[in-house]
Amino acid sequence: MAFVIGKQATTTWLQKLLECGEVIAPVRGPCGDILFSSVHSPDQVAWDFQNSLSPPKQAVLPQTDPLIKITRNAGSYEVEPVYDDARRFLFNVRSCDATGIAFLTQMYEMEPADASYLRRARSLTIISLACNKPCPLGFCICSGSGPFLSEGYDVQLTDLGESYLVEVGSEKGEAAISGASNLFRSATEEEVSQRQRMEVEAKNHFEEETCHFASAMRRISTGRVQDALWEKMSDWCLECGACNMVCPTCYCFSVKDLSEDGTWIRCRIWDSCQYSAFTLEASGHNPRADRKQRMKRRFFHKVSAQYYQRDGVVGCVGCGRCIKVCLGSTDMPAVVGAIRKGKWNE
Amino acid sequence: MSAYPTTCPFCACGCGFYLLSNNGQLAGVAPSENHPVSGGKLCARGWSAHEATLWGDRLRRPLLRRNGKPEPVPWGEALDYITGRLQALISAGKPVGLLGSPRASNEENYLAAKFARAGLQTNNVDFSYHSTCRPLLSGIGDVYGDRTPTASINTIESCQTVLLVEGDLAKTHPRVASAVMKAVENGAHLITVGYRTTQMARLSSLHLSVLPGDEGEVITGLLAAVFDLQQQNGTPAAAVCGGYESFCQNVKNIKRTAELQQAAEWIVRAPRATFLLAVNGGHGDQSRKDAATFASLAAISGHPERPGSGLLLLLPRSNVRGACDMGSACGHLPGYVSFDDEKARQRLQQLWSKKLPSERGWEAEELLQHVSGLIILADDPPSVVPMGQRAMAALEKIEFLAVLDAFVTPTIRAAHVALPIASFAETEGTLTNMEGRVQRLRAAANPPGEAKAGSQVLAELCSSFGVGDAYSSTKDVLREITQAVPRYAAVEQLPKDGWGDVLLENSDNPDFQLDFTGSQGVEALACAERPYVLVREGSFDWGRDPLVYYSPTLSRDYQSERKLFPNGFVEMSKRDADARNLSGGRRVRIASAYGDTIVPIQLRTDLKAGVVSVPYAFRDHLASVLGPDHATAVSIELP
Amino acid sequence: MNDAFLPEIARLVGVADETPDTKTFSLRFRDAHNGGNFHFLPGQFLELSVFGYGEAPFCIASSPTRPHTLEATVRRTGQLTGALHRLGPGEEVGIRGPFGNGFDVAGARGKDLLFVAGGIGLPPLRSLIWNVLDERSRFGKVTILYGARTPTDLVYKQELEEWGKRSDVELHVTVDVAQPGWTGNVGVVPSLFRKITLHPDSTLAYVCGPPIMIRITVHDLLALGFKEEAVISTLERMMQCGIGKCNHCAIGHRYVCRDGPVFNCAQIKELVE
Repeated sequence: MAFVIGKQATTTWLQKLLECGEVIAPVRGPCGDILFSSVHSPDQVAWDFQNSLSPPKQAVLPQTDPLIKITRNAGSYEVEPVYDDARRFLFNVRSCDATGIAFLTQMYEMEPADASYLRRARSLTIISLACNKPCPLGFCICSGSGPFLSEGYDVQLTDLGESYLVEVGSEKGEAAISGASNLFRSATEEEVSQRQRMEVEAKNHFEEETCHFASAMRRISTGRVQDALWEKMSDWCLECGACNMVCPTCYCFSVKDLSEDGTWIRCRIWDSCQYSAFTLEASGHNPRADRKQRMKRRFFHKVSAQYYQRDGVVGCVGCGRCIKVCLGSTDMPAVVGAIRKGKWNE
Repeated sequence: MSAYPTTCPFCACGCGFYLLSNNGQLAGVAPSENHPVSGGKLCARGWSAHEATLWGDRLRRPLLRRNGKPEPVPWGEALDYITGRLQALISAGKPVGLLGSPRASNEENYLAAKFARAGLQTNNVDFSYHSTCRPLLSGIGDVYGDRTPTASINTIESCQTVLLVEGDLAKTHPRVASAVMKAVENGAHLITVGYRTTQMARLSSLHLSVLPGDEGEVITGLLAAVFDLQQQNGTPAAAVCGGYESFCQNVKNIKRTAELQQAAEWIVRAPRATFLLAVNGGHGDQSRKDAATFASLAAISGHPERPGSGLLLLLPRSNVRGACDMGSACGHLPGYVSFDDEKARQRLQQLWSKKLPSERGWEAEELLQHVSGLIILADDPPSVVPMGQRAMAALEKIEFLAVLDAFVTPTIRAAHVALPIASFAETEGTLTNMEGRVQRLRAAANPPGEAKAGSQVLAELCSSFGVGDAYSSTKDVLREITQAVPRYAAVEQLPKDGWGDVLLENSDNPDFQLDFTGSQGVEALACAERPYVLVREGSFDWGRDPLVYYSPTLSRDYQSERKLFPNGFVEMSKRDADARNLSGGRRVRIASAYGDTIVPIQLRTDLKAGVVSVPYAFRDHLASVLGPDHATAVSIELP
Repeated sequence: MNDAFLPEIARLVGVADETPDTKTFSLRFRDAHNGGNFHFLPGQFLELSVFGYGEAPFCIASSPTRPHTLEATVRRTGQLTGALHRLGPGEEVGIRGPFGNGFDVAGARGKDLLFVAGGIGLPPLRSLIWNVLDERSRFGKVTILYGARTPTDLVYKQELEEWGKRSDVELHVTVDVAQPGWTGNVGVVPSLFRKITLHPDSTLAYVCGPPIMIRITVHDLLALGFKEEAVISTLERMMQCGIGKCNHCAIGHRYVCRDGPVFNCAQIKELVE
């Protein structure tokens, strides 16, 4: 069942959502960047952009994420979880990012599950906008995470020009509509067809598949990538960790206690498998002391058959952010391409 | 979540990002595609920039040492105490001084320098890192005066040739390394000079492997080879500069190898070229000469006249340049003009309504050992200066030591009075990067406890010594800076919002003075008795910088290294070690003309044979062997 | 769903010195109810919080057959372990767990068991050893080979004596370097192999200790005819969350905190570094 909402009416819808919970949406900041922030009014929401450089994963997995509070009482200690199950709406994200958050949720649901993450994720409703015009660096089509989604979303909007087609994909999505049901009407057959046509057009925008996961996956999974190739590629990596920070499906972290006036807050903080200290043991032994070993690890996690079998999806949503932020030149398409060809182009 | 655009406080690349904060508490970092230097990229340090402020051991209240124990006191009492002690020392004719900071803002450094020169009436003003970079700044200044044709990081990737005298660029300045990589990807020739096959060296078209101390020899050879090509091309540009006649004479005797000739071709033929010079920590005259030769090489190549070409001195810390320009540098006045510049002196005296002392003061390492009273702004000299822990011993002997910082450091612990100030993330102000780009720092959180803005504290100290009016904000301080330092005049137009910046450098047709004495390198350090060269690697210990030390993510490697090697270690080339059957971890006796010590070795395949290297962080353990130099000949024996 | 990061509070009920830098801590949950709920297998580990310093993983050195007191043997190597070493009976710590796969105790029934440990590698095996000894009739021959650098570095000195006196256990102890008063074997742990007779077909071997000792021992065992599945060890990695999420301990798609830390040699061979 698909609905339609006029673009003007979207403002009213947003107002309704603001009454129900926190709304996190893309906002254009003073320096021109799009950042996902909490909005207080519908006119703060930015629409005229392809995608933000920072992914909205902070909404479920903040860079500094308080988990547990530890209090000291004389010689005794009390511990309690830091509860965050506030109702939130993540509004106007792209298909790749919606898929990214669904991926993260899958990771944190795996036994033993992480209640802290899930409290936040389960109270978050994601309203995404399909991409009529895919972004120049994206390759979501290679990982089934865009430009349009067929499943795995709460609400998917499609820009029909004067209005949005609204597809509801979950109970949470339904709840996001039902509070403002007077703003939505059923979509006509023509409107639904228009959406289908737009999806086909959008897919055609990708000149050719820009990231061949399949053959890279075969080689990575069977150990057929030459050590010398990893060595060569790793010379083009500057270990900044940016790829992990902006990747919608990266979730490596460290756990550290933050001291705060007689209490401690145990926090999850973002980390990167590209940092040499990531696997550094207390004894000083480091199983991944070389950069090439860490690079190999990253791409095994993202693109191996072993992980694909475990997760059912490849660990990449094709958003293209790693291409933009890489200080070197070892982004996903470049490395996957090199693995396919068996050599690194210089 | 609120996002505050600010400038990266770590190295001198001057990248920018948003500091994210939740309800006034720092939470993370987001990149900005629109930033003029970083354009959406950040290195590992940038990504963790929020951590130290959040996780660090913060100073929250002014502390006064009573009976050996630091006691919290009200601000008024602490400042009065400082004023009283300093005045007493001055009346008694005892020397006082001040150290500025390569990690404090321009406003803080300016007020600190003003306080010392006008308030305390002393020129014993310097900043700890100045000792290390001064020879290179002087050398470049010998050639270009105060108009060095500084490259912009963003133009590096469109150069066809890059000459890099290393450092380990990938580690010290990832943003610059990124630009060099892009240039190489676009087909540029990268020429590296150094004693280690670093990551950049592996990407180079030509790696000129030299022993430590011999970099000058290679640069000289390159200079001569470039000169030859310019003569052939009949390029008259060089003829209009100073020193040309004697230059032509002296350059005749220099050896040009085939490799150098190839490199020279790449340099001369390139439409655009960048010349990158790392600070190697060499002391004194030779370093200065090498820098002058390097600058002459760039000058002779004709590149500095061309847009898109230039020179960059790879300063390690975010505001080394700013500290220099603000007058925290010994031997110089604000603007980094010569101490003897009468016009500058007059201008300052007028602006500050105070006569300035005429005696040249001590430089940092001397200062530490000779003053009776010392103020230190946001610095921990023992972890910065080459003399290392001996600086701590000196600090502990100072009669009166007052320190301003956001973080607890060993220097804070040694202070008689500790004043809590805001960290970079809580500060409004400006920084000047190595390109000469002035950018804003913006506060994303309030400083903890009773900590105040550093500029506010320094302004109060100025007042109590009869200098300066009240400043209503850092804007006022910046305005005064534009009057004190003519080159900073344009900074008045620094936009209030957004990524506005002001580039100070203007490299249109710079005049230059060829500075070249004609000698090719120094006598080889090594000899039969002492066949290795021990070098102190690098010039900066990031592991002890509070922004790294207190960051859970960034400090891990450094902490582990210090824990595993409490007595330090040296790196030895695996080839050399294998030839002597020495395995990794083996303890050896390493001896020079100055002294000897026993230390374990770590084997490296990227180190040039004949070189033994001690990381800057462990220089104290090799202090008796290194003597006053950064490189010296040594023998290695089993203990 | 329990909060996976929420520790239970436990109190130290005893601290025993094993060596100059190693202590065994005996812990009981402050809330006795939790003690009843903490079911673990030998070979599993817990994440121990030393409040104010953080959290670190330690293998459980006590047996599930003696559940009311948990034991962990910890060497002092840094800030957190240093702080732990300064704690005394009555003081509180936090415990999360148990984590990991543990040893397959049921699968070991009826078999002959060989334990080979070096230095601080004995604590993870001790949990299994006591489990076996507490249910002695269920298992075949029990042989324990243990060594440390010097006599001072031997852990569980009293228990070693106890085990040595038992008629249903064959124990051989060695040191690399003797000290005055030492009358036992001198030599590396693998040198103890010539003192025992092994039946590779009916024996499971458990090996724990410094990497080089493990390498040599495994090599010798395989050479003697042991199947790879019958040679079992524990892997160590930097760990933080203990629940297979933070990725620090990932080797390929296996997580030492979930799929390990117990692995047999066949499984170790398959791990993709």
